[in-house]
Amino acid sequence: MPASLFSGGRMRAFLQRLYLGCGVLAGISLIVLCGFVIYSVLPGVGLWLQDLFCGKTGFMGGAACFGNVFNYVPQSADDFAGYAMLASSFLALAHTFGRGEHVRVTILIQRLHGRARRWAELWCLTAGTMLSGFLAWYCVKLMLDSRAFGDMSTGLIAIPLWIPQIFMGIGACVLFIAMLEQLIVVAAGGSLPEEKASLHMER
Amino acid sequence: MSDLETTLILIVALFALLASGIWIGLSLIGVAVIAMWMFTTRPAGDAMATTIFGAASSWTLTALPLFIWMGEILFRTRLSEDMFRGLAPWMTRLPGRLVHTNIIGCTIFAAISGSSAATCATIGKMTIPELKKRGYPDEIALGSLAGSGTLGLLIPPSIIMIVYGVAAEVSIARLFIAGVLPGILLAVLFMGYVIGWSMLNRDRIPPSDIVMSLREKIWASRQLIPVILLIGLVLGSIYAGIATATESAALGVIGALILSWAQGSMNWRTFANSVMGATRTSCMIALILAGSAFLSLAMGFTGLPRHLAEWIAELGLSPGALILALTLFFMLLGCFIDGISMVVLTIAILLPVVQQAGFDLIWFGIFIVLVVEMAQITPPVGFNLFVLQGMTGRSILYVARVTLPFFIMMAVAVTLVWLFPEIATWLPSQMSNAAG
Repeated sequence: MPASLFSGGRMRAFLQRLYLGCGVLAGISLIVLCGFVIYSVLPGVGLWLQDLFCGKTGFMGGAACFGNVFNYVPQSADDFAGYAMLASSFLALAHTFGRGEHVRVTILIQRLHGRARRWAELWCLTAGTMLSGFLAWYCVKLMLDSRAFGDMSTGLIAIPLWIPQIFMGIGACVLFIAMLEQLIVVAAGGSLPEEKASLHMER
Repeated sequence: MSDLETTLILIVALFALLASGIWIGLSLIGVAVIAMWMFTTRPAGDAMATTIFGAASSWTLTALPLFIWMGEILFRTRLSEDMFRGLAPWMTRLPGRLVHTNIIGCTIFAAISGSSAATCATIGKMTIPELKKRGYPDEIALGSLAGSGTLGLLIPPSIIMIVYGVAAEVSIARLFIAGVLPGILLAVLFMGYVIGWSMLNRDRIPPSDIVMSLREKIWASRQLIPVILLIGLVLGSIYAGIATATESAALGVIGALILSWAQGSMNWRTFANSVMGATRTSCMIALILAGSAFLSLAMGFTGLPRHLAEWIAELGLSPGALILALTLFFMLLGCFIDGISMVVLTIAILLPVVQQAGFDLIWFGIFIVLVVEMAQITPPVGFNLFVLQGMTGRSILYVARVTLPFFIMMAVAVTLVWLFPEIATWLPSQMSNAAG
């Protein structure tokens, strides 16, 4: 049993919670992302409303006049929306991987069965572990470098770049852990990774 | 090492990594690392992290998760049932009758959905049982659905256009608007085919079971109001220049949430499911885009795309021959990989070829989306086919066979867009404001 490798599977249960927890944080980041974008579009909508009710071309022909109800400059909202997307994409990596939703070419691999399939999956997971490890290493290094050099974002509200980059580092590391876990499971004779990519909705 | 050798090594590495089943985004990173090691002394890892950070936090790209979320919310509403009830009364006189609800339903839903599989699934969830119940033949019902589901990619908003726009550095708002007329053209071609087929097979189309006065029909159409308001919100805000593609996506999310809440289909569970579904799908695409951003950078160092462009220029192909060759190449590629990966690989490697041939990048975007749509309904990797296979239990080959006439209609549309490029380029040239 592969589970015995991790003291009765408690380690694996913890890892599952880690992936899901990061996934939920990623979902929250998506909502935050939407919030920033709404914040940035409202002044434009306000201007349009003002035109509609006050402008000569508007259908109210200036009958009800008021100023822009959202009269502010959305400072750096575009930067922050981008960082929220970065956090969302990276934090969800392991959760998405666990659900078998990262696409890959399965046309050859699905023809293999039994031992051959297991070796093929081992190759994929080994390469995947190495590549995600490489990614994780350099994402963390980027964050540490930004911190050491004090790099700041370029928008009106400048924030230290290591703050968004830390999510990149965490997400990539958790993906590496998930890949490594799956590699160990398959190498120890456990079940193969789930495959749901063909049922993906948004393509 | 000669150019040819290194090129060959890279291409072999790319195919070996992809074909052996390594996740596509990671495969692209792998090939890019090999390319960096072979061609430059620049540290590959640092370049990778910086590039991915820039690409994955770009403002333009934020339209993508938002449109995906909007689709996830709408998929969980009763929108498709309402649309069927609003559209069906108007289709009773046309030869083919309710089959047209597939085509028009997909066309309308495509204007609020960014993906073809989602369009296909959302409309099919309603029309397949309704058409079956009334005795419409499966072949025309399924074929028209698989075909018109692909309109989800062409009619804005469109996930794949966002991917193309970000990769090729083209205005996404303009791309969106450029897709409108070709999308309508394709829908008209599909309807034309259904009408023709029905005239030839009169006995196979069941009689109409809807008897309504004009007044009642108009009253039934009130069901279409929410979806029309949503389209107005998303496309109207882009076309009027109030919102960028990203901002219209956020407005669309709010609109979809309000609609879902007003219909009573919104609760904590559907909300959480829509968020998590959108998060995973966006993450899946983000990994591919991260890999492709790094691969594009690495390809710039190798000079391979430039050499390829020079080599193709030396062949002296006419633009028409080049487009034909590209179409066939994409059809082949579409047998192995999904549409988004196809687009990002093309941009990373073929952009200089396209520029050298003098194609307008907006026009080329529409062309590539059309061809990806065609690939979407060809086996073995056709996601609309998978969706319909899952929904009907028919074999994928059966679904592919009944879709073939619609595939041919798409080939006709590609030819028309090639002969009359204005179909794609005229509307964006009329836009009031070049919002990014």
